Amino acid sequence: MKRYTCIVCPKSCEIEVSWSSAGDLEVNGNGCQRGREWITNEIRDPKRTIASSVIVEGGEREIVSVRLSSPIPRAMIFPVMDEIRKASVSAPVTAGDVIIENVLSTGADVIATSSVLAKED
Amino acid sequence: MRYRFDIVVIGGGVVGSSIARELSRTNAAIAVLEKNSDVVDETSGRNSAVVHGGFAYDRGSLKAKLCVEGNRMMGDLSEDLGFPFIRCGKVLVGNTDEDMRTLENTIRQGYDNGASGLSMIDGKRLHELVPAVIGSFAMFSENSGILDPFLYTIHIAENAHENGVSYFLSHKVVSIERRNGIHIVTAGDDVFEAEWVVNAAGLGAKTISDMLGITGYKVIGSKGNYLVLDKTLGPLLPMPVYPVPSNTYMGIHVTPTVDGNVTVGPDAVNTDDFSYYGVPGDRMEYLRESASTLWPHISRKDVIRTFSGILPKWVDDKGRIQDFRIEIRDDIDDRAVNLIGIESPGLTAAVPIGRMVSEMILERTAFHSKDVWNGHHDKPMRFDDAADKTLVCSCENVTEEEIVRAIHNPLGVHTLSGIKYRTRAMMGRCQAGFCHMKIEKLIERECGLRAEDIRYMGPDSWILSGKMRNGNGK
Amino acid sequence: MENRGIVIIGAGPAGLAAAIRLDELGVRDILILERENSGGGILRQCIHDGFGLERYGESISGPEYASRLLEEIGKRGIECRTGSSVIDIGRDRVLTVASARGTEIIKAGAIIAAAGCRERSRGAIMIPGERPAGVYTAGTAQAYMNLYNRMPGRKAVILGSGDIGLIMARRLTLEGAEVSAVFELQDHPNGLERNIVQCLDDYSIPLYLNHTVTEIHGKERIEGVTVSEVDSITHKPKAGTEKYYPCDTLILSVGLIPDNTILERAGVIIDPVTGGASVDEHYMTSVPGIFSAGNMLHVHDLADYASAEAEAAAENAALYIEGKLDTGGNIRVAAANGVSHVVPMRVSGNGPFTVSLRACRRERNRKVEIRQGEKVLGWHFFPLVIPSQMITVHSDAASGSEDIEVSII
Repeated sequence: MKRYTCIVCPKSCEIEVSWSSAGDLEVNGNGCQRGREWITNEIRDPKRTIASSVIVEGGEREIVSVRLSSPIPRAMIFPVMDEIRKASVSAPVTAGDVIIENVLSTGADVIATSSVLAKED
Repeated sequence: MRYRFDIVVIGGGVVGSSIARELSRTNAAIAVLEKNSDVVDETSGRNSAVVHGGFAYDRGSLKAKLCVEGNRMMGDLSEDLGFPFIRCGKVLVGNTDEDMRTLENTIRQGYDNGASGLSMIDGKRLHELVPAVIGSFAMFSENSGILDPFLYTIHIAENAHENGVSYFLSHKVVSIERRNGIHIVTAGDDVFEAEWVVNAAGLGAKTISDMLGITGYKVIGSKGNYLVLDKTLGPLLPMPVYPVPSNTYMGIHVTPTVDGNVTVGPDAVNTDDFSYYGVPGDRMEYLRESASTLWPHISRKDVIRTFSGILPKWVDDKGRIQDFRIEIRDDIDDRAVNLIGIESPGLTAAVPIGRMVSEMILERTAFHSKDVWNGHHDKPMRFDDAADKTLVCSCENVTEEEIVRAIHNPLGVHTLSGIKYRTRAMMGRCQAGFCHMKIEKLIERECGLRAEDIRYMGPDSWILSGKMRNGNGK
Repeated sequence: MENRGIVIIGAGPAGLAAAIRLDELGVRDILILERENSGGGILRQCIHDGFGLERYGESISGPEYASRLLEEIGKRGIECRTGSSVIDIGRDRVLTVASARGTEIIKAGAIIAAAGCRERSRGAIMIPGERPAGVYTAGTAQAYMNLYNRMPGRKAVILGSGDIGLIMARRLTLEGAEVSAVFELQDHPNGLERNIVQCLDDYSIPLYLNHTVTEIHGKERIEGVTVSEVDSITHKPKAGTEKYYPCDTLILSVGLIPDNTILERAGVIIDPVTGGASVDEHYMTSVPGIFSAGNMLHVHDLADYASAEAEAAAENAALYIEGKLDTGGNIRVAAANGVSHVVPMRVSGNGPFTVSLRACRRERNRKVEIRQGEKVLGWHFFPLVIPSQMITVHSDAASGSEDIEVSII
C-alpha cells in the first residue's frame, strides 16, 4: 500500500492506494472522483508540464520564457529539456509563438509565454 | 612587473591611506600595496564607526594624544574629504556608585588627555538626550561623533590617489628584502623597490614586521560581532549609548549610523584567525540581551544583518593590552616605519597617525613639498545630485547614475561589495534581494566583464557560474 | 504638482487588477506607478504555470497572467508609468515619485498601495557562519535565471520550503544544477502540496522537516553548510545532529514580508504580525484615503487571490473619492485560538465583511469561527487547515464596540 496527498484541491485528502491480486488499483480516502482520476493517472501515466527559457537572437533580452502547451509524460521531461536547451529563436518573439512544434512527438508544443522585442540599433 | 618608488606603504586601510595621503604632499613617489580587492574590507570598514573623544585611554599614551587630535580635526576633514560625519555626542551610562566614580575618573583622564566637552549629567538630562535609554546618570561627551567608515577610508585613499599615490589592490606582500639600502618588496607577481617601507598592515602588521626583521611583538586579534538594525530604529537613537568603559574595552554599545541604522556591539572575543568574519549564533543573542540593558528597542525582527571586525591588539607577555607602537628601529632598519597594534581608536586617529609617520620620514629624507596639492574630495554623488533618478536600490534610494559613477571609481574597484560601500545600494532592509542582479548587470555592461568574472569581494567570491543559455545548444 | 484621482502603487497582479476594476466602475482618472521598467511585477519572473485558475479558469504562466492584465490595461487606456518609484508619501496623499525625469510630485484623491513583498534575507534570519558569496534568496536566484539568463551556481542546498524555493529546486535541476536537499525548520512544508510532489518528489530531491542550516562555510564563495535537526517545538538545534552538505549555492526560501517602507513614511500603522498595514474591512489603512492590498498587505498563496483582494480595495477606493465610503467605528478583530493573523484588523460594524486568516498549525476537521462576545458572526468548516494556505470566511456585520475574535476550533 502507498499513501499520497491529493493535490487536486486544497482539501488535500490522504489517498491510500494498493494493488489487488489481479493487478487492479484500489483507491481509498479520496473525497471525490477527480481525486481518483488524479491518483490513477499519477500512478499509471504521470504527466507534467514544464517551464523554461529559450535563447533569443537579436532581442532586447537574452532569453524568452516558454512552457508546454499540454502535459507530457514525466519520463519525457529531460529529453524535452534537451530540445529546449538546443532551441533558439530570432527576435521579435510574441507570447503564444510556437517555438518547437510537437516536441519529440509528445503532442505538446513549446510556446513562448512572454514577448521580446528586437534590439534597436 | 618591477616598479621603483620612494616609499611603499603596506596596507591601504584608513591608516595606510592616511599615511600615503600625508606623504603625497611631497614629491616622493608613493605606492600603496593592499592585499584585498578594496581598502575597506578589513578593520577600517568593520567597526562601530564612532569618532572617539579620547578620554578612555591611558594618560600620555599615543592612543590618547592621536585620538584627541583626530577628534578635533574631524569636522574639517569631513568638509575637505566629503564624507558624512555627525558630531552627535555620546553618553556612557551608569547606575551604581562605582559607575559614578569610574565615570568621574574617566572625565579627569579625558581632560588630562586634552579632550574637551566632557561632563556628568543626571538622569533627567540623560533622558532628554536619549529618551529611551536605561540608566540613572551618564557621562556625556559632546564632541564624540559618528562617521561613514567606508566613505571616510575610501575618500582618503582616493584623495591620496588623486595626488599621485599609486594603489596596487589585491597585492599581498610575500617577502621584503633590503639590498644596498633599498627595500625589495614582492607582492603578487610584482616587485617593488623603495627606499622607505611603511608597515600599516593592520591585522597583518606583525607578519610584515617580522619580514622587516623587527621581531618579538605579540599581537592578538580581538573580534567584535555586531547586529545591524533597520532604519526604523535610527530616529529613536540620537547618539551612541555606551556602558561604563575600561581603558581597554568600551563595552557593548548601541550606535546610530550616519544613514539612520543602528548597530549593536561589539563583544570582544580573542581570536587567532585574523580572517574569519563569521558571526556565531550564540553571540547574536548575547549582543541583543547585553545591549538591551542600555536601550529597550532591540528586537530580533529588526535585525537586517550581522557583521564582525577584528582589532589587532599588541599585548605584553602577561597579555596586557599596550599602546599604539609607531617606530623606526635604527638598529634594524632605518628606512622602515613600523606600526603595531593600531586598533581602536585608529579610525579616529588615522590622519594624525598619517602626519606623525610623514614627519618621521621627512626628518630623515628631504622629500620636497609639491607645488600643487589638492586635499579636497567631492562628496559622493547621491540621489539629490542625480539628474536621472531611476532607482536601482529602492531601500536606500540609490539611482543608476550613482551606481555607474561608483563602478568607475578612481581605485578601479568593481566588486559588488565595492559598489555597496560606495553607494549604500544593497545595504537596506531587503539586503540586495531586488537590486543584486541589476547591479551585476551594470558591472557587466560598464566593465565589459562576463558574468562569471564578476566578484563579490575577494578573487574567489564569484557570484554567478555563468550564462544559463549560451546559444548554440549549450 | 499633478492632481490625480486614484494612484495605484505597483503594477503587479494586485495593482493591475485594481486598476481594471476601477475602470469598470467608471473611475476615469487612474494612474499606476511601477518602479520596474515594465509592468507585471513578480509575475514576470514566475515562468512556471499554475496561475490564473481562479481568475481565468485555466492554468497559465506568470508572464501570461501579467500580459493578460497588461493588455486589458492597454485596451482601457489606463496610464501606467514604469520606471517610476514612489519614494515618499506626505500629508494629504502627496506622493514624491523618482524616475528618469527626476522627482515629480503627484497629489492623489486616493492611493491603493499594492507594491508587493520582499523576501526574508540571511541577515533577517541570522544564519551563523561566514559571509561568502553564493547565498541568494529564491526570488533573486529566480530573477537571475528567468529574467537575466544567469546561473547562480551549480550545486545548491535550499533552506525553507516556501513555494518559490520549491520551484527553484526544480528549475535549477532542469538547468543541470544539482540540488542536494531542501531543509525546513517547521514540522510541515511551507509550500503547496502540488509543488512538493512536482518540484521535489519528481526529481528525488529530499525534503527534511525540522532541520535548519546552523552554519555557513566558505571564506569567499560558499563551500558548504552545516545542517542540524531542530526540536519541533522550540526550533533549537539538537546537539550531535550536525551534518555537513557541500554546496556552492544556498537558496533561501524562508518567508515573505510585505514591503511597507513607503507606507511607513506615510505614517500608516503597520501590523506587527503581518508586516503590512493595519486595515479595516474596506482595506483602508489608518491614514484616510490610503488603501492597501495584495502581498503588500499580507502574503497570499496565489496571485489570483492578490488580484481579487485588490479589486475589493479598488471598489472601496472608488466609493471613497466620491465621499460615499461608510467608515467610522473601530471594532478590533483579533486572531484567537489557532489563528496566526487576520485581515482586516478592525471593522466599522456597518456591514458584512470577509476575514482572511492563517492557521498556526496543520489540523483536520476544524471550524473557523468569528465571534463577537456571545454572538457568532460567521463560521466555516474545513476538512483541513494548513498554515501555508490562507483561509477566507465571511462574516455578518458586527455591532457595538466589543472585540471580534477569530478562532479555529
